Amino acid sequence: MAEPIMHIRNVVKSFTRGGEEITVLRNLNLEVAEGEFLGIMGPSGSGKTTLLNLIAGLDKPNRGEVWIGGRCVSTMTESQLAAWRTRNIGFIFQFYHLLPVLTAYENVELPLLLLPISSQKRRDQVLNALDLVGLSDRMYHRPGQLSGGQQQRVGIARAIVTDPTLIVADEPTGDLDARSAVEILNLMGELQKGLNKTILLVTHDPRAAERTQRIVHLEKGQLLESEEMQAAGLMAPSDSFQAKAQG
Amino acid sequence: MFTRLYEQIAADPINLAAAIITLIVLVAGAAYIVTYPRLFMLGLKNLRRHFLRTALTSAAIGVLAFMITTIWTIIFFIDLITVERSKDLKIIVTYRWSVPSQMPITHADYLNPASSQFLPELVDAQGNKLYGPNDFMTWSFYGGTTDPAKITPDTLILFFVMEPEQIIPMMDDLGDLDPKLVEALKDKPQGCLLGTDKLKALDKKVGERFKLTSINYKGIDLEFEIVGVLPDGRYNASAIMRMDYFNKSFEQYARANNGRAHPLANKRLNLIWLRVGDRDKFDQIGSIVMKSPRFSNFPVKVETASSLVGSFLDAYRDIFLAMKFVIVPGMLVIMALVMANAISITVRERRGEMAVMKVLGYRPNQVFLLIVGEAVFVGAVAGLLAAGATFAFFNLRWGGIPFRIGFFPVFRIPEAALMWGLAIGTLTALAGCLIPAWTARSVKVSEVFSKVA
Ligand SMILES: Nc1ncnc2c1ncn2[C@@H]1O[C@H](COP(=O)(O)OP(=O)(O)OP(=O)(O)O)[C@@H](O)[C@H]1O
Ligand SMILES: [Mg+2]
Repeated sequence: MAEPIMHIRNVVKSFTRGGEEITVLRNLNLEVAEGEFLGIMGPSGSGKTTLLNLIAGLDKPNRGEVWIGGRCVSTMTESQLAAWRTRNIGFIFQFYHLLPVLTAYENVELPLLLLPISSQKRRDQVLNALDLVGLSDRMYHRPGQLSGGQQQRVGIARAIVTDPTLIVADEPTGDLDARSAVEILNLMGELQKGLNKTILLVTHDPRAAERTQRIVHLEKGQLLESEEMQAAGLMAPSDSFQAKAQG
Repeated sequence: MFTRLYEQIAADPINLAAAIITLIVLVAGAAYIVTYPRLFMLGLKNLRRHFLRTALTSAAIGVLAFMITTIWTIIFFIDLITVERSKDLKIIVTYRWSVPSQMPITHADYLNPASSQFLPELVDAQGNKLYGPNDFMTWSFYGGTTDPAKITPDTLILFFVMEPEQIIPMMDDLGDLDPKLVEALKDKPQGCLLGTDKLKALDKKVGERFKLTSINYKGIDLEFEIVGVLPDGRYNASAIMRMDYFNKSFEQYARANNGRAHPLANKRLNLIWLRVGDRDKFDQIGSIVMKSPRFSNFPVKVETASSLVGSFLDAYRDIFLAMKFVIVPGMLVIMALVMANAISITVRERRGEMAVMKVLGYRPNQVFLLIVGEAVFVGAVAGLLAAGATFAFFNLRWGGIPFRIGFFPVFRIPEAALMWGLAIGTLTALAGCLIPAWTARSVKVSEVFSKVA
């Protein structure tokens, strides 16, 4: 396995709500290699989004460390994190979360405005990203004028435009019909293979998970590899063909 | 326009404050647009997207700014008149027992430092007069019409009757009048200076003559030659004529009527002004004048310009106090609340957007600035436009706000009102948006994107 570009060590995350403490992540460990396409599955409420938030520096663990590209994310200040995130994390959301007042082009440009680059370079990067997701002909459309699948492609273009270390996708196909979902997954596969991007994909959808190189399951606050899941007899029936495909 | 603005700023601390705020807003706004042009554009696009809300908010703020501008104009002038400008403190001598004041013309001689009849009580032990010839002036009023068959504001002219030498040293706001105009007036016994509005109403040019039929001195009809125009401003509807011409016309009347004097001949002096410099001098000179036996037949009273106006306005005092300390602040609070309401709705709706911006690497302060920028833009523009509209509407239509109390026909909206509009729009927007913008700034991304059941 190549040098890990990200590792998470003994992370504990709990929330207090109504005076009651809920521990979502318990001593969680994870290593991801550069260029790896990792699927993260797990029941609703198991803490997948919470994990992504910790990785992207949007929240802090109670204990443990998150290292990405040689830097410890969990100890950076908020403004350090903001600058770091622009260059290192590309986030893809289930509900796209594009700014409705901006065109596709402007949405993709948004993170680049925070970087000290020339407007020519910025333009090139935006056009390139839109080209990669196949939306060059829609760049002056606003989100309201685009289909769900097209909006998600804009979301992907926005995530890759800064050439981040890590792309993090939280159920990117969760809101799409089957065909659009397939297109989005194809696109992500191409990015990973063609551009050697490291991608973390959170999904409920076994067909989505199928595209990844490795699947981990979040159960009771810990991550289990598929084999471990099987051994523990926890594998859900729908997950089994993925195991077969790999085995 | 700019000299007037400057004068208004110098005259009133509120105008000064508004000027400073305006300057800060312009500089800060320019800095914001230069530093974050895209954030500014994003803000504009957000405002345009919710156009109806933006329009309604602006309208509410505009209406309030309009009302404040109107009310404040009136308060501003009342304050300007009633607050004593101490270096210019004047005694106004009038007839004690009736309004309008009518006094014998001889009263002027007793108080004129240049006259041989000057009251000896007004000369101190060293032989110095308590005030000089440049600190004295008399007022008479001669009103007439160019068309006795059709008496309208356009055919009416009210002359201030005075010595030409008194104009520059004594008249308010005429201190920097072109001395050539005074010379021109001294050259022509029948000469007069007209305000621009009067000149236009008469449809005459400098050098031309016109005749008036008197309204307040029946039978004394005079002919005038226009020798100059008064500077644009508060004297636009006024006119100035010479005292000696006025006096001679009474002698002429007597000659024409077998030596019978005009019934008002002995009552043709209306006011005397003495500039006294400070309060102590005022008390000293005032009591000398009041006690002087010379005036016992026609007793006089002494007042300051502000106390004269002040006593007149006493009846309105509570209304003014309420306007100043209750209504205006109340409307400012409402402006801030309108803005707070609109901005908190926006922030609530766009929580997801704020969170996404943070995910992309926007710092909390940038998110804060985005919201503040939107609010301040709306406030400043709505405030400025409303004040501008108020200014144009009243001043162009009636020459000011036609709020008639006593002898103030209209209240001209000062140029500084444009700054009031901008300043109150900005400040109330800022006050109203701070809390919601802070909420936006501290949106917790992890809470927006995880399911918090
Ligand atoms: N900010 C928070 N405050 C309190 N509790 C939280 C917070 N964020 C998440 N939780 C709780 O932590 C648990 C994990 O939530 P999370 O959103 O990570 O689940 P998930 O695996 O992403 O679920 P889903 O598949 O439905 O998206 C849930 O019980 C949730 O209620
Ligand atoms: Mg989730």
